[in-house]
Amino acid sequence: MKLTRRMTMAAFAAFLAAGSALPAYAADLIAIITPSHDNPFFKAEAVGAEAKAKELGYETLVLVHDDDANKQSQLIDTAIGRGAKAIILDNAGSEASIAAVQKAKDAGVPSFLIDREINATGVAVSQIVSNNYQGAQLGAEEFVKLMGESGNYVELLGRESDLNAGIRSKGYHDVIDEYTELKMVAQQSANWSQTEAYSKMETILQANPDIKGVISGNDTMAMGAIAALQAAGRKDVIVVGFDGSNDVRDSIKSGGIKATVLQPAYAQAQMAVQQAHDFITTGKKPAEEKQLMDCVLINSENADQLETFALTN
Amino acid sequence: MSSTRGASAIIVAVMMALAGCKIIKTPTAEETAQSAVGGFDPDRMVGEIWDSKVVPYLDRKAGPFSEVAALAASNLEAAGAKYGHKEKQGNAPWTFAARLSGTIVKAETKSRSAYVEVDADGDGKADARVQIGPAIRGTAIRDSLDFVNFNEFKNQIEWAQYGKAFNTLVNGLVLEKLPRDQLVGKKLDAVGAYPAPAKGQLPLFVPVQLTVAG
Repeated sequence: MKLTRRMTMAAFAAFLAAGSALPAYAADLIAIITPSHDNPFFKAEAVGAEAKAKELGYETLVLVHDDDANKQSQLIDTAIGRGAKAIILDNAGSEASIAAVQKAKDAGVPSFLIDREINATGVAVSQIVSNNYQGAQLGAEEFVKLMGESGNYVELLGRESDLNAGIRSKGYHDVIDEYTELKMVAQQSANWSQTEAYSKMETILQANPDIKGVISGNDTMAMGAIAALQAAGRKDVIVVGFDGSNDVRDSIKSGGIKATVLQPAYAQAQMAVQQAHDFITTGKKPAEEKQLMDCVLINSENADQLETFALTN
Repeated sequence: MSSTRGASAIIVAVMMALAGCKIIKTPTAEETAQSAVGGFDPDRMVGEIWDSKVVPYLDRKAGPFSEVAALAASNLEAAGAKYGHKEKQGNAPWTFAARLSGTIVKAETKSRSAYVEVDADGDGKADARVQIGPAIRGTAIRDSLDFVNFNEFKNQIEWAQYGKAFNTLVNGLVLEKLPRDQLVGKKLDAVGAYPAPAKGQLPLFVPVQLTVAG
């Protein structure tokens, strides 16, 4: 029955494409739009989403917006133009993206957001995001323990337009600020970037040689910080990250970075595709639009079980 | 209307100043703006539902700790349905409401995130860890309530601030008054909530009502 219908649709689409100047509609296309794959976290999302989409019989269109809201808007146009049935989106800014997602909705293309939420509901069908606050608290509790509840530390922040940068920082401080002997001597944004974190860390270290720890808003910045610290011969400084990348796992295992927090990026992306599939085929929305996925602390005790943003048993 | 009230307030303030009265701190421009537009104020929101909804809800929902823990161990979903709450989507664990009575067998009061460990079944071993602040971990109280929902908040930041407001309130209302000395051996009675613990870990209980007696 369903196959017949799909074939009829395909035949109809082919007829339209052949017989008129209308754009050719791809039968079952899912667009997957994320920030740059330079960060393994976003790569894992795209790979996870693509694998699930193919498993469910879709074609995929994988695109990156490089955290540029204008580029994102063009990519949304591309997805609409190509006749995507759904968009899986890790967006380029919690405010700036509302209009882009609305545009897709108005064109009849539902969006399923992952990793980052937007400051609006009723525009996307789903927003599946890590519980960044819960995760940040886990990371901060471990950081406080490693620091022995005292000492000078540095915080590296993520990109300001990304809500996740703010929520992680809040989660960190809601825990750390309870300890009056922990003193933040520098707080700077390195925009999620490894190279930027490296140079920022170098400068901070010159001004504040007496630091005992660095807490970072994500893993790529933690990797930049540890590299700068090691280059300066400061292997004593405690570094804690956020994401659960394989790079940080390896650093933990070799005694570099001390801990991170795993976001289930791969599972999140797959869940979004499943919800897109359910919506496309049955019109059914998930019970709640905004969905939180809890994070897990990763340290030397369980780093071995971590592989591509998922814990194995 | 509001400008009339503002004007009268100014007149009253001026009169008070002229009369040589001490002027009480007025709200900052930011506070005034916030109350004027009905801005997000989690402490006020939580304060408004605490006595009327939060405490009665947990009091009604809570089962004896040993029963909740035993059912959670044998059938997590059944325990969740009866004593717990969690968001419909996502992967948050169940948060249970429970009534905990027992003897304090360990007290960590030096840390800012102080706690006592309680033996509920009389075998001398700790069955739960009760957070006694001032730093309270997690958001168990918020997460135990079936009448608050993440989807009704603008974003994770407001949802987090809301969660913390419950901890702040319980700290001021209940925990700050708790004596910190010689707690071991005393009897504890509490109503509160805890998230389903990770394997091998003690339940981390956050009280909304708590008494400790010699």
